[in-house]
Amino acid sequence: MSIETTHSHDESHDDHHDHAPSGFLDRWLFTTNHKDIGTLYLVFSLLMFFIGGSMAMIIRAELFMPGLQLVEPDFFNQMTTMHALIMVFGAVMPAWVGFANWMIPMMIGAPDMALPRMNNWSFWILPFAFTMLLSTLFMDSGGPAAGWTLYPPLSLQGGQSFAFVVFAVHMMGISSIMGSINVIATILNMRAPGMTLLKMPLFVWTWLITAFLLIAVMPVLAGAVTMLLTDHFFGTSFFNAAGGGDPVMFQHIFWFFGHPEVYIMILPAFGVVSEIIPTFARKPLFGYTAMVYATASIAFLSFIVWAHHMFTVGMPLTGELFFMYATMLIAVPTGVKVFNWVSTMWRGSMTFETPMLFAIGFVVLFTIGGLSGLMLAIAAVDLQYHDTYFVVAHFHYVLVPGAVFALMAGTYYWLPKWTGHMYSEKWGKIHFWVSTISVNILFFPQHYLGLAGMPRRIPDYSTQFADFNMISSIGGFIFGASQLIFVGVIVHCVYKSRKAATAQVWEGARGLEWTLSSPPPYHSFNTPPPINASTVAHADEAH
Amino acid sequence: MSLNSREDLANRRSRAVKTAWLLGLIAAGIFVAFVLSGVLGH
Repeated sequence: MSIETTHSHDESHDDHHDHAPSGFLDRWLFTTNHKDIGTLYLVFSLLMFFIGGSMAMIIRAELFMPGLQLVEPDFFNQMTTMHALIMVFGAVMPAWVGFANWMIPMMIGAPDMALPRMNNWSFWILPFAFTMLLSTLFMDSGGPAAGWTLYPPLSLQGGQSFAFVVFAVHMMGISSIMGSINVIATILNMRAPGMTLLKMPLFVWTWLITAFLLIAVMPVLAGAVTMLLTDHFFGTSFFNAAGGGDPVMFQHIFWFFGHPEVYIMILPAFGVVSEIIPTFARKPLFGYTAMVYATASIAFLSFIVWAHHMFTVGMPLTGELFFMYATMLIAVPTGVKVFNWVSTMWRGSMTFETPMLFAIGFVVLFTIGGLSGLMLAIAAVDLQYHDTYFVVAHFHYVLVPGAVFALMAGTYYWLPKWTGHMYSEKWGKIHFWVSTISVNILFFPQHYLGLAGMPRRIPDYSTQFADFNMISSIGGFIFGASQLIFVGVIVHCVYKSRKAATAQVWEGARGLEWTLSSPPPYHSFNTPPPINASTVAHADEAH
Repeated sequence: MSLNSREDLANRRSRAVKTAWLLGLIAAGIFVAFVLSGVLGH
């Protein structure tokens, strides 16, 4: 039951525009097309994913056995810091912006993003920002080595390259803010008539809320690193205790940004999974409206839990209790989401194509990360867990089989739409199973390491931690290598696959993007499409 | 002006630009407020 491309009569005179510019620079450097910019973001994030992943391989190789094996301790610290900065700001966030660029206009019936030229600028800032960040590794003073949290006083003890780090963070922030402004302006102003807010696909909803989070917190990070910059180079003492400043204040400011940042990376993942599960369960999403409110609740709560990252600094008991209970509250809307995904699958006519496998993997493994998060929320026991590998295991479960699995699920789900070709289902499934098994070998033992007291961010450790570290490293090497399968599947799909994708691609897919041909025309929805029961993805019937 | 016309689209683009300026000012305001709170509180 594939649906043919929607064209209206007054669109015909636009046909001569319906092709991409022929020159390479015109097509990619000066583009204002949301699909091209989406592709640029996705390719860039994949590149960063491999650069950040290479750093993770260095970390796991060093930790394969006790003792110093391969790298100097200071370089190890640079690797942990850069790995995090690149994965957070260079891989996961730009990948979601890429998805937003590709999908939001097509999902709401808009011809493009609302501000196409700013869209181009948002992207092209990033390669310069990350070139600058990575260049610090080749400077005399080396790259940042104080952890991605950049806590003073340690971060202030770095060399001259710190200025480059701060400027890179500023540029990433400007890019994110401009991208978010574009998303909000597009969703609020460019929806096709009839596409009311509560008819929007969940992915659009989660991105709308994510964009507000970004605008609220990225300037806070910018302010914090600006003050670090002046402390380092201009003699101020915002966070320098020797000059009357307060290092703990930096931790408060950083985590006021940092905790919403976690949700910035995971809310779009919730959106993608909410698109995929109904498609392959062949049922409407259970509790659409509840999902929207749960997303908004999580976003609100993310602003009032930041100090659970710093229970050990010695805050008042009332403060610890407030942040502990507020953190635990997040389990309620998150539980609503997991319940609704499971309920959507309940008695559905399920099939298990690669996107669905990754989506189910996400639900199960992200929930493990959520549960260890609840353990960390308990202020009393966090004194034991803090700064151990238990924390590393927790947030990697949230971000790798969480956010990254959702990115892979979304890629497999929409790749046929983007390229017009089907990917290899066999290799997609091999990628899923190798990734899922290896990611658990990689991160699950780290729970035990943390509970046994192994601190994070160290290149050497006591011999009692040797076995679990070796197992974890083996899992890491397999997981890293298995991502080459992902690249192979994508390259094959784009350049070699001969199996054409239909417009609808998946039997159970619903929503505006599936009414367009695969691949969609270079300019789509120049005239807003009709919004009716067959073009709305999964709103509640009452709406 | 019908809902689906090009004028309507241009109108919505113009509203989008205003939305963008508003959001940009909010972001800039948050940045300035945080830095100022650091300066004045010091």
